[in-house]
Amino acid sequence: MSSEIFRLPDVGEGLTEAEILRWWVQPGDQVSVNQTICEIETAKAAVELPCPFAGTIDAIHVEVGQIVAVGAPIITIAVQTSEPVLVGYGVKGASASQPTRRARVTDGSAAITGARTRIKPVVRKLARDNGLDVSQLTGSGPHGEVTRADVLAALGTEPALPSVSPDEPGDRIPVRGVHRAMAEAMVQSKFTAPHVTEWVDVDMSRAMQIVQRLRENPAHAALRITPLALVAMGWIRAAQRFPRINSTWVDTTDGADIIVHRSVHLGLAADTPRGLLVPVVKNAGGMTIVELARMIQQVIDVAREGRSSPTDLTGGTITLTNVGVFGVDGGTPILTPGQSAILAMGRILDRPWVVNGEIAVRPILQLTLSFDHRVIDGALGSRALASVAEFLSDPAMELLFDPTV
Amino acid sequence: MTAETDPVQLLTPEGQRVAHPDYDIDLSPGEMRDLYRRMVMLRRLDVEATALQRQGELGIWASCLGQEAAQVGSAAALRPSDFAFPTYRDHGVALTRGVQPLQILELYRGLTNGGWDPLEKRCGLYTIVIGNQVLHGVGYAMGQSLDGTDDATITYFGDGATAQGDVNEGFVFASVFTAPVVFFCQNNQWAISQPRERQSAVPIHQRATGFGFPGAFVDGNDVLAVMAVTRSALERARSGNGATLIEAYTYRMGAHTTSDDPTRYRMGDEVERWRLRDPIERLKVYLAREGIADRTYFDTIDREADDMAVTLREGVRRLPVPEAVSIFDHVYAEEHSLLHAQRAEFEEYHAGFLDQGVR
Amino acid sequence: MTTITMARAVNEGLRVAMDADSKVVLFGQDIGRLGGVFRVTDGLQKDFGEHRVMDAPLAESGIVGTAIGLAMRGYRPVIEIQFEAFVYPAFDQIVSQVAKMHRRSAGTVRLPMVIRMPYGGGIGAVEHHSESPEAYFVHTAGLRVLTPSDPQSAYLTIQQAIACEDPVIFLEPKRRYWDKGEVDLDSAAGSAGLLSPWRARIMRPGTDVTVIAYGPMVRTCLEAAEAADGLELEVIDLQSLSPLDLATVVESVERTGRAVIVHEASRTVGLGAEIAAEIAERCFYSLEAPVQRVTGYDVPYPASRLEEDFLPDLDRVLTAVDRVMEG
Repeated sequence: MSSEIFRLPDVGEGLTEAEILRWWVQPGDQVSVNQTICEIETAKAAVELPCPFAGTIDAIHVEVGQIVAVGAPIITIAVQTSEPVLVGYGVKGASASQPTRRARVTDGSAAITGARTRIKPVVRKLARDNGLDVSQLTGSGPHGEVTRADVLAALGTEPALPSVSPDEPGDRIPVRGVHRAMAEAMVQSKFTAPHVTEWVDVDMSRAMQIVQRLRENPAHAALRITPLALVAMGWIRAAQRFPRINSTWVDTTDGADIIVHRSVHLGLAADTPRGLLVPVVKNAGGMTIVELARMIQQVIDVAREGRSSPTDLTGGTITLTNVGVFGVDGGTPILTPGQSAILAMGRILDRPWVVNGEIAVRPILQLTLSFDHRVIDGALGSRALASVAEFLSDPAMELLFDPTV
Repeated sequence: MTAETDPVQLLTPEGQRVAHPDYDIDLSPGEMRDLYRRMVMLRRLDVEATALQRQGELGIWASCLGQEAAQVGSAAALRPSDFAFPTYRDHGVALTRGVQPLQILELYRGLTNGGWDPLEKRCGLYTIVIGNQVLHGVGYAMGQSLDGTDDATITYFGDGATAQGDVNEGFVFASVFTAPVVFFCQNNQWAISQPRERQSAVPIHQRATGFGFPGAFVDGNDVLAVMAVTRSALERARSGNGATLIEAYTYRMGAHTTSDDPTRYRMGDEVERWRLRDPIERLKVYLAREGIADRTYFDTIDREADDMAVTLREGVRRLPVPEAVSIFDHVYAEEHSLLHAQRAEFEEYHAGFLDQGVR
Repeated sequence: MTTITMARAVNEGLRVAMDADSKVVLFGQDIGRLGGVFRVTDGLQKDFGEHRVMDAPLAESGIVGTAIGLAMRGYRPVIEIQFEAFVYPAFDQIVSQVAKMHRRSAGTVRLPMVIRMPYGGGIGAVEHHSESPEAYFVHTAGLRVLTPSDPQSAYLTIQQAIACEDPVIFLEPKRRYWDKGEVDLDSAAGSAGLLSPWRARIMRPGTDVTVIAYGPMVRTCLEAAEAADGLELEVIDLQSLSPLDLATVVESVERTGRAVIVHEASRTVGLGAEIAAEIAERCFYSLEAPVQRVTGYDVPYPASRLEEDFLPDLDRVLTAVDRVMEG
């Protein structure tokens, strides 16, 4: 004797449940094969269920009126002989428990290999944009893949110095990668655009007060609020007020055009382990000081970690370079190719300053502006530089009177 | 019943033998008993299969309850070398052609989309798309004719199918090519929930004239009449006179399939009226009255049917489940490399589970 | 909000459309008295009459062809093909006529008809009841193709399909007919803020992999996302197969860098192939790994006992996710 469970079958192609309408038997009854034991109602029809076994009804598991899922036990019958019962087919009902997957051995799947270096499209582009020949690299990734890290390492690596022949003095350094790209850019820019450089000194007392108060605000504790953010804001506002600052000279077949960009994308010259990179804060116009500080921090951190994407490093419309961190005041910065103006900020140093006819000690910042005289004439360049200085000399007042440029 | 010509009848519902001007049949007692036995076994298969579906052993079942005479009577008229194209409900045809009951159940259990070798059994596989097989039957008959044999083909379909393009095209081709084919329509009155009137504004057998061949109207529950009319049509075909449309007037006593609920569209009293015209009952009465069979014989047949049911039940549960990778078998007669690669990928994927053998 | 099955949701959507426009007529086999083999048109003939809910002779080509004529006469036919694999006799009318009429007539003839059919497998059925023919229709210019994945989307998309001035192939995932879900029966199709059927919808936001599915596979992918340990899968329900909402797909893949497409239909020239090509073209530089497709195999749909080996399931989806995470 054994007990057989009859589970609710799918009686109509994909049904998931049924309601018990009535039972024709009760526990203890003798039943024969195909004897009608109950009537159920599905979404399609009312159906009688015939008993699959001969034996005695052990237990009935569901009551009249109950909705039962396909596959759920409805009745147990004590039978003479044991036979396997197969549940009808149909939709696998929604499992009450959390879905889980069947465990697999690690998939040692065959990698797709080809004749060319195995490298992701985006990494291949990064390499190409930086003048790197990937076929010269060994990949450290799975299946010999050349990874982003491999490319960035190659861009920053100083190659082994070749042996120097005895009659040649000094070291010979091959110019490659970021260094080469930078050198070419400098040449292109300096010897194409007629650079004019102007400078101005700014009393940063009020600006420094603002920086201090921002730093003290616990809401911005995570941010590195520096004077650079304020300088950047002033520079962005100048570019918006004087759109020619925010433009590009383009040679055409019948002369030249000046493309005036609608949005300001601020490039920040950053000294990174790979060399000089200029990551860009996109759409910098209209940002609050907090947003700007955050974005500046982010793009520079990303650049220093070598994680900048090609889009991060292109598309700038103006540049800001901070030479003050190196302890100098100013210089003659070279324009970033494709741009018409670059602002350099120097040290902020306490200096003697005349205030109301008296000598005072003030934190003084020198700003240097280089611009392309094809695009921006002296008058415009001067005004633009002066407006940055005006902003920095009293940022709060400037914003009150001119909240948006 | 609409105003139609009277169907050919040789055995009344009460089991009375009657004559017909155009058709007659002369069967030996043994042949008569054989017809009876076949119909009883068929019905038992059908009833058992319906129960098996309700017990979760079959995914679905299309019952032929009530149509035993139409199927057995016509199929028994065939020569072994003839060919039959059934639908998916013509279990009586399949069995008569030598298909084993378990082979039919294998299909409905979802283990195969076929179940037997059609060329060996000379019986097509079940066709589920309505009417497709009619064209196949006509084409096969055209082949028989081209080969110069006097074999014939019979192709089965229901009243619903007569609306399908394929069936009408089959009529056209058969008539234009004078194909040796018998079109056997089991008008069981219902195409799921649609009554016959939805498929044709005229009685089905009358449509044949429009296509250029004769139509015969027969009482589909009278196995003797069915056999007689089918023999006659087959003779016509064999002698190069082309097609005949036989409309066997019968009734689908059960549902369209086990997924259907006929109480939603037809009345119970209609079913009861047709119960009085039962095909097996009338033959039983006739055999008993004529002394061709007695109580002992009937009991023996019933027992045989019960035994078959038990064998069937056990057999169904033991039907082997094909291996998963067999889904890639026989897609082509000449497998190509892309499929081969996909098959290998499939096997590799399934070998990658920690718990082998669990599905 | 009411909890109803998808079959019932389509029923309710049909009701709303028929109430709103007396030119909407239903045509198909067994849809009237029986209410459809899946009961999707249950009660509609009783409520709207035999002249608006018509039982058709057993001839799919006849149904589609005559519906074209009805549409030319100013009706908005919503026809039912009983099971997707029975659409093939009507394929000629659909491809040669339904799809081309508007263009052939230089825009003067509109065929605002909907051809509904249950599709997909997983219900243990016999042959021809479990296929996925969407690629044939998406490939045919002039047709639109919509497929809901749950009761709420079914309720809205059927109405929007009927309201559309172009012919729509409306594919109902039959294995989900009995899935229950919340439906806001007061939500009007097209109202602001509600899902538009011609857009894909993000069913589950995520950051690691974009999983793209439609119809019956959406639920499978959502279950896979739940089972994915340590990964956040973003699951997109395409809803509209023609036209495809590539903008939503592209925006997602550009964020995640990894895409897996899932459909029941066989792999070769399935919709996955089209979407993968578009992703490769539009998101090439955002991709961290090749696009993966999880599909049915290139074999005829098997006997039902083997269908679970043919159909994509949670494990196959997650194996593809593994592959795409490897890079």
